Amino acid sequence: MTTTTTPPATGATTATGPPPQPSRRTGAVVRWLRHGGLSTLVFFLPLLLCFGLFSWWPIARSLLLSLQQTNFLTSRWVGLANFERVLADPLLLTALGNTTWFTVLALVIGFPVPVVLAVLIAELRRARAIASVLVYLPVVFPPVVAVLLWKTFYAPGAEGLFNTVLGWVGLGPFAWLNDGDMAMPAIVVQATWATFGTATIIYLATLMGIQTELYEAAETDGAGIWSRLWNVTLPQMRGVMLVMALLQVIGTFQVFTEPYVMTGGGPENRTLTLLMLIYRYAFVAGDYGRATALSLLLALVLAVLSAVYLWVTRRWSTS
Amino acid sequence: MTTHRHRLLGLAALALSGALLLAGCNSGQQDTAAEVDTDAPVTISVSNKPTAESPEELASFERRLEQFTTEHPNITVEAEETEFEPDTFQALLAGGQLPTVFLVPFTEMQGLIARQQVADVTDYLGPHDVLQSINPSVNEVVKGDDGGTYGVPTNAYSMGLIYNRALFEAAGLDPDAPPTDWEGVREAARAIEESTDAQGFATMTTENGGGWVLTTTSYGFGGLMQSEDGTQATVDNEATKEVLQTYREMRFTDDTFGDNFLMNYDDINNAFAAGQIGMYVQGADQYSTMVTTKGMDPEHFGVGPLPQTEDGLGTLGGGTVAIVNPTATPEEIAAAVAWIDHYYFQRYSDEEVARADAEASVADGLSVGVPALPLLDQEADDRYLGWIEDQINVPRENYTAYLESTRTLPLVPEPPVKAQELYATLDPVVQAVLTREDADIDALLAEAQSTVQSAIELG
Repeated sequence: MTTTTTPPATGATTATGPPPQPSRRTGAVVRWLRHGGLSTLVFFLPLLLCFGLFSWWPIARSLLLSLQQTNFLTSRWVGLANFERVLADPLLLTALGNTTWFTVLALVIGFPVPVVLAVLIAELRRARAIASVLVYLPVVFPPVVAVLLWKTFYAPGAEGLFNTVLGWVGLGPFAWLNDGDMAMPAIVVQATWATFGTATIIYLATLMGIQTELYEAAETDGAGIWSRLWNVTLPQMRGVMLVMALLQVIGTFQVFTEPYVMTGGGPENRTLTLLMLIYRYAFVAGDYGRATALSLLLALVLAVLSAVYLWVTRRWSTS
Repeated sequence: MTTHRHRLLGLAALALSGALLLAGCNSGQQDTAAEVDTDAPVTISVSNKPTAESPEELASFERRLEQFTTEHPNITVEAEETEFEPDTFQALLAGGQLPTVFLVPFTEMQGLIARQQVADVTDYLGPHDVLQSINPSVNEVVKGDDGGTYGVPTNAYSMGLIYNRALFEAAGLDPDAPPTDWEGVREAARAIEESTDAQGFATMTTENGGGWVLTTTSYGFGGLMQSEDGTQATVDNEATKEVLQTYREMRFTDDTFGDNFLMNYDDINNAFAAGQIGMYVQGADQYSTMVTTKGMDPEHFGVGPLPQTEDGLGTLGGGTVAIVNPTATPEEIAAAVAWIDHYYFQRYSDEEVARADAEASVADGLSVGVPALPLLDQEADDRYLGWIEDQINVPRENYTAYLESTRTLPLVPEPPVKAQELYATLDPVVQAVLTREDADIDALLAEAQSTVQSAIELG
């Protein structure tokens, strides 16, 4: 073993040898500090802690729970048994079918409404502000209050609000939520009412951002109102519309509050959704293994949808 | 190399600490009730402390607490207002926040025992004579398959026929003679329907309520939903078919079942308190909900025994159980059981305590003397009611038939395995029968039978 002498740490260089070089790692740290890395970290730390504690750790814990059978006191690893039990549950297909049906109905019923409303409001000159407020009003209702309100509107007897109104024109009474075929569309109508305000305001903002020169040029070319709508408005909005559609699909796949409060999943499980099934596993059966397994399966599906969303937004933003 | 060695050392340390932890756990479990030092300082937490909205009850609670700590100077009691909620219980347990003594409904007990989420208190009941003299049919709910005792019932009731006495009178029926069989129920429902604006009969159908009531009513028709050992589902039985057939006839032939068949616990209670429903099957403890919480006239509330057929087996029980946190040390379990004895049972042996408790409840506007099952034997119950006679603000004379039935009508336990999943499976069956006239009862029950059997076998 040999020892080497090093120049005194005065910082002075001599012609006899190269100056002492800091190691690559130390240099990187110094550079990082000089470029404000420490202050970035300090500012970033609370965010990291919050996300870590309340978002990432629960996700990691769910992953672990899905592979365990636990009573929260002792746990044992069961491999993929929870997933097998979920996939063997006949209610899974029912819930998946109902959730998909809700998503499709929400797209068919709920998607065009805010587009049409936004176009109409954009045409208003004086009452645009008040119309925007009125359209957004349902969004500020607490969700459970709104759902309970609609539940009473849907009262199945002749004295129910909707049945009374329809009775004036000789229709009904309808069973609404008590009818297996009508229950899900009825829930979709409520959900659309509760959420269309936000989408309308976003579409309205997009419409307001369309250059008026485009409309003027179209008018000069002799385009009528429908032609302008078809050839100017919709093409200018298509990027936002597609993104909104994808966000709606992701959101509606996680529907819970409306069917839980309005029907409890009935009648005959016709409105039982995937999130309600997860809730039943966890809080009715006390089986967190199955609940987290199904949650992860749902998260996988939503992750695919989110990937599509990311891909589409990037594609549209660069085109 | 060095890093690798550090990792190995770290893993070894982790394994060692894990082993020590396990050894520590095991050594803790080896302590038995007989070895517990009941004079050692110990701290326990207890749930269901009265809130400031009930100042007299809170003051009474504080007095009892002070009395307890005077008698047990080594025990420190930390009282919390925490109450049982189905969707927070697991979180309390997982987060280590579950109080040492916690009150849960009867319906949760078998699930908690099966999941080993309650402490076995069998060996700690010895010094407490009163806790060993609990009504055996009520105490059945806290018994595990292994014969162990996993809690202490603190109040109990049986399921019965709840009815509106004012609607009975308006329909020309005798409110002091509720129907005792289902033919009588149908007749009364028809009379209410014809003479009043209310619907004759109703049942819960969602959030497991439909299955729960169907199970209870099936007991009255002579059918069980599971074999006694819980290994076989017996959902597809003749009694349950009869119940569903009765539902169908009341709905589509008599037209006395109303038009809303998506009713949860709150929906049906609200409708009943508002005078919109003539009769439904529910626990006799509904008196407090209806009168104290929802403002129903006490004279309008009626409860009779669950109607029985000739083959009827009895009725289902309900109530509240004090459980002990499964992570409690033996010293904490002993202290917890001492608290349960003191707080919930002293009223049966100490007249002063019984009267003070009742006076506090009356001062807070709460109901005293609610129809219930005797928690101990009939003699102890009668003695207690005698002590608080002048404080009773519930018209018990209206519940003579129900109170007599508590001495004679057998209590049938809940299905022993996965009762809540069984009830959830039966909700859609009840909904189908009430919403579709052509619903195939045989097919519905056969499918439910298969689902419940699968759930039992999945474990």
